[in-house]
Amino acid sequence: MIITATPATDGPDAFLLSGRFDAHQAERFRTAVDPSLDVDQPHIDVDLSDVEFIDSTALAEIVRVMKRCREREGDLRLLAPSDPVRVILELTRLDAAFTIV
Amino acid sequence: MTDSGLSAYRSWATTPLTEPPKYSVVIPAYNEEWRIVPTIGAIATQMCTLGQPWEMIIADDGSTDTTVELVQELELANLQLLIAEQNGGKGSAVRRGMLRARGDVVLFADADQSTPIEQFRDLEQRIDDGYDVVVGSRAADGAEVENKSFVRKVFSTGLNLIVRNVFRIPVSDTQCGFKMFTADAADRLFRRQLIDEFSFDLEILYLAQKFDMKTAEVPVRWIDAPGSKVEAGKVALEFLRDLAIISWNDVRGRYKSDNHERPDQGVDSSMPPMAV
Repeated sequence: MIITATPATDGPDAFLLSGRFDAHQAERFRTAVDPSLDVDQPHIDVDLSDVEFIDSTALAEIVRVMKRCREREGDLRLLAPSDPVRVILELTRLDAAFTIV
Repeated sequence: MTDSGLSAYRSWATTPLTEPPKYSVVIPAYNEEWRIVPTIGAIATQMCTLGQPWEMIIADDGSTDTTVELVQELELANLQLLIAEQNGGKGSAVRRGMLRARGDVVLFADADQSTPIEQFRDLEQRIDDGYDVVVGSRAADGAEVENKSFVRKVFSTGLNLIVRNVFRIPVSDTQCGFKMFTADAADRLFRRQLIDEFSFDLEILYLAQKFDMKTAEVPVRWIDAPGSKVEAGKVALEFLRDLAIISWNDVRGRYKSDNHERPDQGVDSSMPPMAV
């Protein structure tokens, strides 16, 4: 999986993910994203438009980040999930938990 | 998401087929509560882009976790769930799924999505070319293998050398959980199958060769999924034992006639979700 990070100048920190987001990639995602949580009201965008598959470990990881954001009155948004990712979010009923744009 | 892709998926998920499926995808599942739902989502999305009627069959293998409940709760219109009362081995789960399948082309795929379903068409192309059995291969030229442990590489290389040289099966990877069959080939092979454990693949390929079925190998992209239930050393010993069992079965003539019946399909073309 390729992670392209765009630190915020005026808006959420953005992370563009590309490829397969699975348990092998969860640690890399955590390393890339966690520094963005160390602020008041963290706002993070995760672009999933180019993710071909997401497994349960990866889902758990983005749930963790979302919770951390909301604990600090921020939020995590999922941008344009690809077809399989959107369906997986629906089947796991996580689509209702996230802000999906 | 593309509107056409979303529309096709929604229709498949909510409306039972009114015609026989062209494709069947069989997924054996034993204690897969952590992995099964994303795999179903990925496969359903991809298969719906092909524009053909298709069915998914989850062949439970006596799971003791919440795999069965999770699949049932999805309430997908064209997903059959075959429940086993007890664990019988991966080979038994795949057989029940394959003999339940109604498609002209039948694929079985592992529940961990280690071989991405996007490669379905690559295998189907060889079915279109006239092959009866098409094997996804991690060892063929052009295959991409990610995260496979050194131990598993050593075992699989050694075992496949034995298979090729002792059994003369012209396949470089007998164990990849991504294999496609014509309906006739699946019916004939899985009715004769006797091995219920991991080396059932080897028996199926042995029988395909014995019955002069055309078998092709297609290189695949394969990503090791964490949490694999395969214990390389134990499986290797079982594999060698089963090589001998398969030979002995053949000598005794146990492959001359069917060893299993095809289950009654109930003649219900709509095939709602069912537990068997």
